[in-house]
Amino acid sequence: MHLFVLLALTLQSGGAGVASMTPPAAPRQALTPRDSAFHALSRLAYGPRPGEVDGVARLGVMGWIDAQLDPRRIDDRALAEREQGFQLLGYNREDLARAYLAAQRARQERQRAGGAAAGEPADGLDMAPEMLRARRLAAELQELVVVRAVLSERQLREVMVDFWTNHFNVFFGKGADRFLTPSYIEETIRPNALGRFEDLLIATAKSPAMLFYLDNAESVAPGSIPPQLARLERSGLFDPMRVDSLRRRALERMPKGINENYARELMELHTLGVDGGYTQRDVIDVARIFTGWSIDRPQQGAGFAFHEWAHDAGEKTVLGTKFPAGHGMDEGLRLLKLLAAAHATMHHVSAQLCARFVADDPPDGCVDDAVAAWHHSDGDIREVLRAIFHGPDFWAPRNVGTKLKTPLEFVVSAVRAVGAEPDTTPRLALVVARLGEPLYQHVAPDGYPEREDAWVNSGALLARMNAALGLASGKLPGVTVRPDAIAPAIVDADQLIAAIDAQIFAGTLSAHTKRAIRDQLADIHDPAQARVLAIGMALGGPEFQRQ
Amino acid sequence: MSITRRVFVRSGGLALFSLGLDPLFLARAAFASFQSSNVPSGHPILVCLFQRGAVDGLNMIVPHGDALYYRERPRIAVPARDVIDLDGYFGLHPGLAALKPLWDNKSLAAIHAVGSPDSTRSHFDAQDYMESGTPGVKATPDGWLNRYCRHDREHQDTPFRAVAFGPQLPRILAGTAPSLAIDDLQAFGLRVPQEAARDRLTRAFEALYEGSATGLLASSTQEGFEAMQMLKQVNPAQYQPAHGAEYPRGRLGRSLLQIAQLIKAEVGLQIAFADVTGWDTHVNQGASDGQLAARLKELGDGLAAFARDLDERMRDVVVLTMSEFGRTIQENGNSGTDHGHATAMFALGGPVNGGKVLGKWPGLGVEQRFEGRDVAVTTDFRDLFGEILVRHLGAADLGPVFPGYNPNPARFPGAITA
Repeated sequence: MHLFVLLALTLQSGGAGVASMTPPAAPRQALTPRDSAFHALSRLAYGPRPGEVDGVARLGVMGWIDAQLDPRRIDDRALAEREQGFQLLGYNREDLARAYLAAQRARQERQRAGGAAAGEPADGLDMAPEMLRARRLAAELQELVVVRAVLSERQLREVMVDFWTNHFNVFFGKGADRFLTPSYIEETIRPNALGRFEDLLIATAKSPAMLFYLDNAESVAPGSIPPQLARLERSGLFDPMRVDSLRRRALERMPKGINENYARELMELHTLGVDGGYTQRDVIDVARIFTGWSIDRPQQGAGFAFHEWAHDAGEKTVLGTKFPAGHGMDEGLRLLKLLAAAHATMHHVSAQLCARFVADDPPDGCVDDAVAAWHHSDGDIREVLRAIFHGPDFWAPRNVGTKLKTPLEFVVSAVRAVGAEPDTTPRLALVVARLGEPLYQHVAPDGYPEREDAWVNSGALLARMNAALGLASGKLPGVTVRPDAIAPAIVDADQLIAAIDAQIFAGTLSAHTKRAIRDQLADIHDPAQARVLAIGMALGGPEFQRQ
Repeated sequence: MSITRRVFVRSGGLALFSLGLDPLFLARAAFASFQSSNVPSGHPILVCLFQRGAVDGLNMIVPHGDALYYRERPRIAVPARDVIDLDGYFGLHPGLAALKPLWDNKSLAAIHAVGSPDSTRSHFDAQDYMESGTPGVKATPDGWLNRYCRHDREHQDTPFRAVAFGPQLPRILAGTAPSLAIDDLQAFGLRVPQEAARDRLTRAFEALYEGSATGLLASSTQEGFEAMQMLKQVNPAQYQPAHGAEYPRGRLGRSLLQIAQLIKAEVGLQIAFADVTGWDTHVNQGASDGQLAARLKELGDGLAAFARDLDERMRDVVVLTMSEFGRTIQENGNSGTDHGHATAMFALGGPVNGGKVLGKWPGLGVEQRFEGRDVAVTTDFRDLFGEILVRHLGAADLGPVFPGYNPNPARFPGAITA
């Protein structure tokens, strides 16, 4: 352990710039500069676009990685321009709450008028304008993920946004999260994706989307009475009967006690990990600490609010640390800092990062390096990542080209591979959904899985082949393809396959795959058709499913 | 030859399907022979329908013999004259009239007051628990139907053992045992309109994966190609329901029709799953007519068509409806009902102990209610699901299927004929 800390300290002591200019020589010998560039583009980015492997190899792969770790210095104007096409980004949380409530009212009015049954997906034709607007905004939220992943030059940041979106998962389909999720992504996740873990953790804890999703907004100290109700009781003079019925109705709707949901997931998923050494008593006291962390009503913008009246004023103990009575909201902040700095948290989150970037079963050495960097950088996510990318496991040939792409990674990398341009319609996000990963729709708090076995099923793989064929033939909705960026339409099968191998796979395509494609091209004499078939098979084939 | 071909291509002709492939591509296509499955007919099949949104059990199986029911629901109770009486106390909602003959021939049972031991009234949590089979435990990664498949491996040789009809695999089938999600049987496979081109492309991908794929990628694609091969024989586009069965229009009818098709095709289907939405009737739910009535009619007509279509094959089939919870006994201020606790479920099929309302009825009295407002749960849903797994599918051990729970045959509601 000490050795790792020392090693990491030595690496970092000269500052990021110095460390970056000295890539670890030994472990990378197995890979050529182009191999290294391809590997880095496959893991830190959503795959290379035509010509990018050569560009990164020329720049030096470690230099490119360092640049990716400092995204503010990367010009991303083209994406910024495309983002202008998304109306969603012009809505703040209050606007969205209003738009959503208007849609809900419109839907209820239709129901009252005896229209479509409750919850039945309307087909658009009989939808009120308010409902159509809410639907369009929801579609934009999903499509924005795909467009950013395809077009952003700050690729590592987009990859990390996806990582944290799943680590701190919320479910778009749960009530108020329909209008709370967009600001969660824009204001909570994105600005903190490459910052300090503690800041990100606190931001999620205070985010209305998370407070609603994991029910903390409803968690109150037993017996607490909201001020409105207390006022009502004081004014009980003029009409006791009416006050009594109002009070009963209000009490019925009032949460009755603590809700452990957030407390448990905070420790199990967000920080310590399921084996992180906490007990049921800890869960209860964490829940007590977070009583009163809630949200305003939607009409008021549904922002974060701390309700003193709902807070449990007693003393609490978590993981052996005492939280003296009466510190209100500060107790929660103190607890979050404690959890962010816990060794179990460093280990749990580092292992997840190694699983994302290195291998489904993260090698111990990778995790140890990441934990050491976490220690000395005080949880700076960039330094943790830097340690992973500089480690021998990241570059070990056994870990290269082995991780299965998630549906999002598959679709985005395929679109990038053929130099295609996504439009602002939700159609590409629908393809991702059809392959099994409808964005922001993972119901359970653990987020979409990273492991291969979760994504490989026969229906999903057939869907990937269809998407690949559709993309190659220019018939995948939502994108414009430029096949000339990959290969000119040429008759010679070997030349065609060589071009695809070089442009999309950086020369790593197996002999078997090349032969299988060549067999199919043997009797096809139209060069355009041959190109469609060859690219379709390459993108739908087994090697492109991995990164 | 090449001139002909070029003319053909230039003129647009058949314009070579969506991919724009060469006609010679077609010529080379050969048809792979269909390998018949070795699954004998006569094996038990379970069809699960999930009524998402929490169905109002009290207006589905109506306690019309209870004055309290009418007192609590002045605007939405189904009038006694409209209820299709079953046993003097309970009756079917008139929208379910198509199910009455199935009740009379003892292949339909209702189970009342069934639900979760967890008290949540969140759709999200309650559906999650009903599908994971672990009420109160959120961390369960897989669904109980998948765990059943994993531990009872008799049928694992067919890709069609467990099929969910819809674009995604539902939580209930999530897990490591192979299961298919099929949105549309006709569209399962490579989307190339011309059959010969589709076959050729399919074999091209098969060859590609056979040699280059590793691990799960190899086995899963193999399953997929086998499934496609089997489906070719089934020829979903040509399906005609038997005995004049007419499935209702809409998603449920389409799902049930496709399930019937797969059952008749004998491709080894053991577990089928489909969603039925639209039960969250907070506002203006209606009584004999209206919103809920329309949903129930679709359900009743769909199930009746399914039974008619399958006819004798229903001797091997159990259809089970389920819903995450029931709704309040008292109607709310919007002529609707809010989230409650226990609900009612149907079991339909040859093996069902039909013609009965099963389960212990807790009554509607205020002191008998759960938290003073909802129908109490007297049958843990795992006892009903467990009974069907054991007595219908022949599961040997429920321990791995419902971890942390000890199913006891003494608590089985008796949905399957012993």
